[in-house]
Amino acid sequence: MEERTVVASAQWASEHGRVGAGASLAAKVLGAAAALVLAAGLYLGLVVVPPDAVQGDVQRIMYLHVPSIVTAYVAFLVVFCTSVLYLWKRDLRFDAVAVASAEIGVVLTGITLATGSIWGKSTWGVWWTWDARLTLTAILFTIYVGYLMLRSFAEDPRAGARYGAVLAILGFLDIPLNHFAVYWWRTLHQPSSIIRPGGPSVASTMLVPLGINFAGLVLLSIYLLLERVRLERIRHRTIEVRLKRGRRG
Amino acid sequence: MSIRAEGMVAGVLRRTWAMTWKDVTVELRARERINAMLFFAALVLFIFNFALGPDQEKLREVAPGLLWLAFLFTGMLGLGRSFQAERENECFEELLLTPGDRESIYFGKLAGNVLFMVTAEALILPLFGILYNLDIWRLLPSLALVAFLGTVGFSAIGTLLAAMTAHLRAREVMLPLLLFPLTVPVILGSVRATATILAGGGLGEVSHWLKLLGGFDVIFLVVCPLVFEFVLEE
Amino acid sequence: MGNWGFVGLAYGLASVALFSYLLLLKGRLRGAQEELAALERDSGRRTR
Repeated sequence: MEERTVVASAQWASEHGRVGAGASLAAKVLGAAAALVLAAGLYLGLVVVPPDAVQGDVQRIMYLHVPSIVTAYVAFLVVFCTSVLYLWKRDLRFDAVAVASAEIGVVLTGITLATGSIWGKSTWGVWWTWDARLTLTAILFTIYVGYLMLRSFAEDPRAGARYGAVLAILGFLDIPLNHFAVYWWRTLHQPSSIIRPGGPSVASTMLVPLGINFAGLVLLSIYLLLERVRLERIRHRTIEVRLKRGRRG
Repeated sequence: MSIRAEGMVAGVLRRTWAMTWKDVTVELRARERINAMLFFAALVLFIFNFALGPDQEKLREVAPGLLWLAFLFTGMLGLGRSFQAERENECFEELLLTPGDRESIYFGKLAGNVLFMVTAEALILPLFGILYNLDIWRLLPSLALVAFLGTVGFSAIGTLLAAMTAHLRAREVMLPLLLFPLTVPVILGSVRATATILAGGGLGEVSHWLKLLGGFDVIFLVVCPLVFEFVLEE
Repeated sequence: MGNWGFVGLAYGLASVALFSYLLLLKGRLRGAQEELAALERDSGRRTR
């Protein structure tokens, strides 16, 4: 088992030329694109779009809050897929994408929680309520923070990758079950209805900054993913070099 | 069923039973686990009574939550120890050497954990009824059904995570940290269903919760044994 | 806190979070690259 993963690691590390080089051209382009798109989204959401009739300007927080959680869900879907692929193929590249995507997902979920809380304070006057959306986001956050902790506490990185993959599969399957449980809990008298988290219908003018910010966050996430995977590659190469030295020395 | 398939199923059942029986006999001799679980549960019930004060109405409102708090913390304790013997005596390697599928090990451990947790619950429930002045005997079948579904779901994920965290640093912290967020559907479903039943509602009123609990159990009783081998491999 | 105060707080926090993650990542990358470079230099010296 050790030989196989070390060989896979070595192939990956030495495949694309020098590991020590900086960010790839693709990554740099993506980073720049992300910055541009997010700037456009910021301008649209904060300046161009008129304030909400009911909530006023604080409603603009939605243009950050919603794309953030949706991108986080995409990130966690990636964690799930790459975890399954890793357990199946044992290619460490899948594991690298998994941990990278999980870190990004956790950051975005944290942002969702913070912006949701701030939005709540501005409209309801309290920093926290146990409403369905905030509760679900908090649970999601805890699950994937646990994923990152599990990986870091494993005695060796290969075990961490395996345990993490198993946990990621459980966590992802859990998400729909959590949705049902929490929404039914918060709407005691209509257990048969599945409330969609859309809330009031979204006006078409709102869709544009929502979409643009979502695209911007996705671009940013891919850029961060590429860099984080590069870090993982360097770490694997380091392990490989150490092992080779151990054998020779 | 072909003879070969029958033989395989019989083999799985036999190995599962062997695993469960081993855990049960070890426990019966030392009674460490069940004693700790019961003591802890009694502690929870008493302390919360002191914390919440003498207001009977308030106590009745939170009673279902308290009951499940006692059940779940007790279950946690039991789960935390379910792989302790293997870890202390370095038997993990032995488990892997025994011929046969990993699924048997999982189901054997799961059955043991469910057994311990249900036993503890059976002893906690009457104590709960007495301390909080609730007529549980009339409602026993419904309560038992909810408790069983919840226990199975909690233990299904708990057994897997217990095996995973057995090797880890800070495992006493990691097991609850990983287990509780994942079992929120079980916790919510069990508590809400118990609350409705204790308030006089029939099983019909909690059918959606029962379906959620049942669905949770089925999903993880299928997935957990499948991924268990990845946890055990060295 | 005024309406725009809340909006500013939300967008500000999010920006800080994303920037911090990026900066920390860059830092981790630099550290790992230096470690690898040092290791490879040592390995080279040994085999000669």
